[in-house]
Amino acid sequence: MKLKLSFLFFLAPLMLVACGGSSPEAAKEPAEASEEPSEAHLSLTAEQLKAAGIGLETAGPAQIREVLPLYGVVAPNAERVRDVAARFPGVIRSVDRKLGDTVRQGDLLANIESNESLQVYAVRSPISGVISARNANPGEQTGDKPLFVVVDLSTVWVELSLFARDAAKVKAGQSVLVKSPVAEFSAQGRVTYVGPFGNSNQALTARVEVPNPDNRWAPGLYVTGEVTLAQKSAALAVRSSAIQMIEDRPVVFVQSNGQFRTHAVTLGKTDGERTEVLQGLSVGDIYAAANSYVIKAELRKSEAEED
Amino acid sequence: MFLVAAIAALGIWNYQRLPIDAVPDITNVQVQINARAPGYTPLETESRITFPIESEMGGIPGLKEFRSISKYGLAQVTAVFEDGTDLYFARQLVNERLQGVRESLPPGVDLEMGPAATGLGEILMYVLEADPDARKPDGTPYDATDLRTIQDWSIRPQLRQVPGVSEVDSIGGYAKQFHVLPDPARLLSYGLTLNDIETALQANNGNIGAGYIETNGEQNLVRVPGQLRGIEDLRNVVVASRNGVPVRIGDVADVAQGRPLRTGASVLGTKQTVLSTAYMRVGENSRTVSLAVSQKLEQISKSLPKGVHAITVYNRTDLVNRTIATVQKNLLEGAILVLVVLLLMLGNVRAALLTAMVIPLSMLMLMTSMVQTKVSANLMSLGALDFGLIVDGAVIIVENCIRRLAEKQRHMGRLLTTEERLHEAFAGSREVFTPSLISVLVVILVNLPLLALTGVEGKMFRPMALAVILALLAALVLSLTFVPAAVALVLRGKVEEKENFIVRGARRLYQPVFAFAMRRRLPIAVAALLLVIGCGFLTTRMGTEFIPQLDEGDIVILVARIPGIGLEQAVSMQEGLQAALQKHPELKLVYSRTGTNDAATDPMSPSETDTFFILKPRKEWPDPNKSKAQLLADIDATLATVPGMLYEFSQPIEMRFNELIAGVRAALAVKIYGDDFETLERLSQRAAALIRGVPGAEGVKAEPIGGLPTLTISPRLETLARFGIPQASLQQTISTAVGGTAVGQIFEGDARFDVVVRLPEHLRTSTSALERLPIALPGGSFVPLAELADVRLASGANQISRENGKRRVVVSANTSGRDLGSFVKDVQAKLERDLKLPPGYYLGYGGTFEQLQSATERLSLLVPITLLMIFLLLMMTFGSPVEAALVFSGVPLALTGGVVALLLRGIPLSITAGVGFITLSGVAVLTGVVMVSAIRSRLEAGEDIDTAIREGALLRLRPILMVALVAALGFLPMALNTGTGAEVQRPLATVVIGGIISSTLLTLIVLPGLYRMVRGFRRRREKVEAELTVEPDHAG
Repeated sequence: MKLKLSFLFFLAPLMLVACGGSSPEAAKEPAEASEEPSEAHLSLTAEQLKAAGIGLETAGPAQIREVLPLYGVVAPNAERVRDVAARFPGVIRSVDRKLGDTVRQGDLLANIESNESLQVYAVRSPISGVISARNANPGEQTGDKPLFVVVDLSTVWVELSLFARDAAKVKAGQSVLVKSPVAEFSAQGRVTYVGPFGNSNQALTARVEVPNPDNRWAPGLYVTGEVTLAQKSAALAVRSSAIQMIEDRPVVFVQSNGQFRTHAVTLGKTDGERTEVLQGLSVGDIYAAANSYVIKAELRKSEAEED
Repeated sequence: MFLVAAIAALGIWNYQRLPIDAVPDITNVQVQINARAPGYTPLETESRITFPIESEMGGIPGLKEFRSISKYGLAQVTAVFEDGTDLYFARQLVNERLQGVRESLPPGVDLEMGPAATGLGEILMYVLEADPDARKPDGTPYDATDLRTIQDWSIRPQLRQVPGVSEVDSIGGYAKQFHVLPDPARLLSYGLTLNDIETALQANNGNIGAGYIETNGEQNLVRVPGQLRGIEDLRNVVVASRNGVPVRIGDVADVAQGRPLRTGASVLGTKQTVLSTAYMRVGENSRTVSLAVSQKLEQISKSLPKGVHAITVYNRTDLVNRTIATVQKNLLEGAILVLVVLLLMLGNVRAALLTAMVIPLSMLMLMTSMVQTKVSANLMSLGALDFGLIVDGAVIIVENCIRRLAEKQRHMGRLLTTEERLHEAFAGSREVFTPSLISVLVVILVNLPLLALTGVEGKMFRPMALAVILALLAALVLSLTFVPAAVALVLRGKVEEKENFIVRGARRLYQPVFAFAMRRRLPIAVAALLLVIGCGFLTTRMGTEFIPQLDEGDIVILVARIPGIGLEQAVSMQEGLQAALQKHPELKLVYSRTGTNDAATDPMSPSETDTFFILKPRKEWPDPNKSKAQLLADIDATLATVPGMLYEFSQPIEMRFNELIAGVRAALAVKIYGDDFETLERLSQRAAALIRGVPGAEGVKAEPIGGLPTLTISPRLETLARFGIPQASLQQTISTAVGGTAVGQIFEGDARFDVVVRLPEHLRTSTSALERLPIALPGGSFVPLAELADVRLASGANQISRENGKRRVVVSANTSGRDLGSFVKDVQAKLERDLKLPPGYYLGYGGTFEQLQSATERLSLLVPITLLMIFLLLMMTFGSPVEAALVFSGVPLALTGGVVALLLRGIPLSITAGVGFITLSGVAVLTGVVMVSAIRSRLEAGEDIDTAIREGALLRLRPILMVALVAALGFLPMALNTGTGAEVQRPLATVVIGGIISSTLLTLIVLPGLYRMVRGFRRRREKVEAELTVEPDHAG
């Protein structure tokens, strides 16, 4: 009996131990290659860099062009539009030009017989341009309306819609790259004027004068314009692809002595390609430019728990 | 005899139908509901989709619990039912509820149930690969989109028809789409909006039937076709008319074949591919189904375009075959060893063969009953079968019959008649009926507690216990009916009972030992007791594990990258990783899946990748003897050089089980339920800090909730009102611009592809471009998005987990250096005391400690009961508690041997080893029963005690040795084998062999001494008592 009892006491803990076994098994930690606290440095060999596609560059001065893309419409250059009217009322005897004809300054547009003098006099184009309206046909009486509108399209205006948030940034004199959305052509111009009044859209108008030698910028065309807000030579800039956000703050990974360290940086202007660094980096620092995300991933991997 | 033959035939037939798998299916009864909500962030998914589904789930009968996760574009609700619920019934119930939910979900949400498959469902995976020089009919090479199209529209529909396949699911590649990419500037110039484009495309893409007309008695059907057929057609759809001139899609948008915003990708080698998985329906035979799938796949392959191949990368049949081969080899070798022992010990070929006949016969009966009870044949269920145990009953009977037949022959001096033989066989069987019956009953009895296990352990061990019990019952029936009859029929002629040299040698060796043991019985008994205590102490020092992990042969590397990583970034990093892995010479191929597959059976984030590392057969390795541990270490070294990830090793089935069952894999999971994220996050950090302070805490982790960068575009309502733009139209515009809106389909044969309106890539991928997105005003002009809404990038919720209808965050912990039970108590006490929970927040505890507790509780209750039952059984047999206790003494002695054997082989204690101990205690009783009943019958015959003990011990040496040897040798191959799956069986076999050796030796040495001591003592007392009263012991 004694034996039996002792056995009972023996087997019960045995089973407990036997079943209690799952803890070390379940406790299997992810096999971490090298445990890195998140703010620590990281060393990678040249092969690792290559395999991970991490490109290194040296921080240094750069030209940074900050641009603002806007939408706009091509309009005739209002200073180069002429309404041609009959000087004396009369009967139109002949009309020499059709709508859309290109005319030079002084070209004959029409002959009109004056009602008063019955003299026929010539109406000539005051500027070189294109006939954009013709309200004159032979035999008609001239009225109050202009007979022709001659537009000089050698330059056009691009009227960019400028909304409240950007209004303060755009000033006369800034250079603008105007692009056509439909066809692949563009032209360079400058902001000549920013309208002080808003329209019904809550938008201001920024006017850009653009040369139009081939008449490609047809008035009415919708275009986009990139206003160069600032062009400055930044003392220190990095590739924008180098910037990663850690805890909502921008950082750059700098390599020194074969190790990457996280540098918190303050950013200045950017043009998408390069970004000015105001603080946190010095000229000559070697930083991870391409595929810098891999370094972020490595440094922060302890956060990557299994979901 | 005919009956036996019939049963055998039935068994053979049933063998064909027996479901075979590598491991028992431990998945619980669960139904997954997946809701795809394109573009929804986790927060929106939770409130708009997950919550309505969850609230409908309440009150479903049999529902044990439900949990959910809400991620980008996907809500998954998992309803777990009580064990034993019929899966199809459960699905039916869930489906009924889903009907109601559908109406309350936002439009465009695709709601469906996951495949009716279990953790063993992923039976076959294949990838599509195109030769580098293969060309499409139009002369361009095949890309990931083309492969995906082939998978979706030519392979999948055919594979889904294979019987037993529940789903064929893909990840990776790109589903083909037609993209209409409007240019906002061009839209502006025509005064059009994104909405106009959508409307135009929706209105210009459909065939319609218009009834019929009857002309001159003839019926003519009328149809009005208008289905768009391709990119050219799309370009020509008219959006609007300007001064009588139609504006076509082509005027304002680019139309091209494009790629969807996908949630998952797969990489084979270093190239992106399409990875497809065939899921087996629950309850099917995996071997049959995967065979059928691979045959079908082969057939389909022939019809694929030239140069495109479907390559099977994972086939469950391989593992099943390997495992079953191991089991078969073990069983076969065991059977042969048993046969050899029988031959040697019985010295009679016919008798040996006859005894061995019990093996196949009981196996066949087992097959029949397994099919009936729906137990599948696998490593666990067949793994614990020991032919030694099965034949034990028969051995005792045959041995005794032979002995009696031979004696009778000698006595009569002539051959026996059939009648005499029958008579002798009957008498011989009767003589040992009790030990033979008891031997089997005891082993059956010890297996009973295993049937009471629940949960994962239950699913692992119940089939095993069931199989053992069934096989033993079959053997019992056979040895009590078939065997004696057969003995009488078969053993004609001269029955020689040869005491061959082994038995004689053993006896000669045993005699002096026995004499010594009888003389020094007290010291020996004390020594035995000390041994037991010593081993009991040793067990507390042994390493422990739950269940030895089956080595599946293939490796899965679970890769985790930081939350918030983009899919394409993750894929490119994964390609680098796989390039590094390819240098391993043991690698056959490497493939991976990143993110979520189409059926969302395993909703992973883009930050998670399962990398499958498929090994070459061992003989093709440069060093075929390299251990798995060494290989893993090598891979580990390679992985360590690849930056940017965490990793963990697993195996295909193991991984799947883990995904399906737990959710939480740590020993202790503290779940904090509540509503507010920030509060939850704060509480979880605080709880983690508190738990870290508890002694023994290790690897304490608070589940990260946030970390997913979220671009929030919040409309400024006032501004919207001033411009007269409804908020919904702004939201719709943004959704179309960024995520795209499906506006119809283009048909190509059976295949259909979505037409999607979306902004061109360069405009939708940068925040600043989005801020400039022109929003059309009612008047025809526009205003940039930034004027109407604040655009802000911030870290948001990555994944929202809920359980039983409440948000929860998990803090997980493991222990080292102390037992889990007390650790859990400490943690609970500490959290109760120090963690201040705001109203509405509460704690829950989970993790493997729950299973552990329940299993421990059950076993610590049931094992003593079982042992008591054995004891009672013995008492009933012997009618004496003393003798029963004596027989019982074999058990602790056997356990010592088991412990020592484990220690010698360096195998930790596990549940499997525990099961070994259980079996062992059955066998240990057996030898004792044989000996004690022999001694008793001699005593009853009136022999004096010393003679009775000596004669009993020496006479029964042969059956004792035989019983022990066959049981031990039957397990020997299992203990030594190294094939696939051997590691699971090894502890069990080791324990039994070690225990049998020790228990047999100790039975032979200690038991007679003990018996003498007890008897001697009792005799004296009885003599006194007998004078007063009738001796009760001999009444029965």
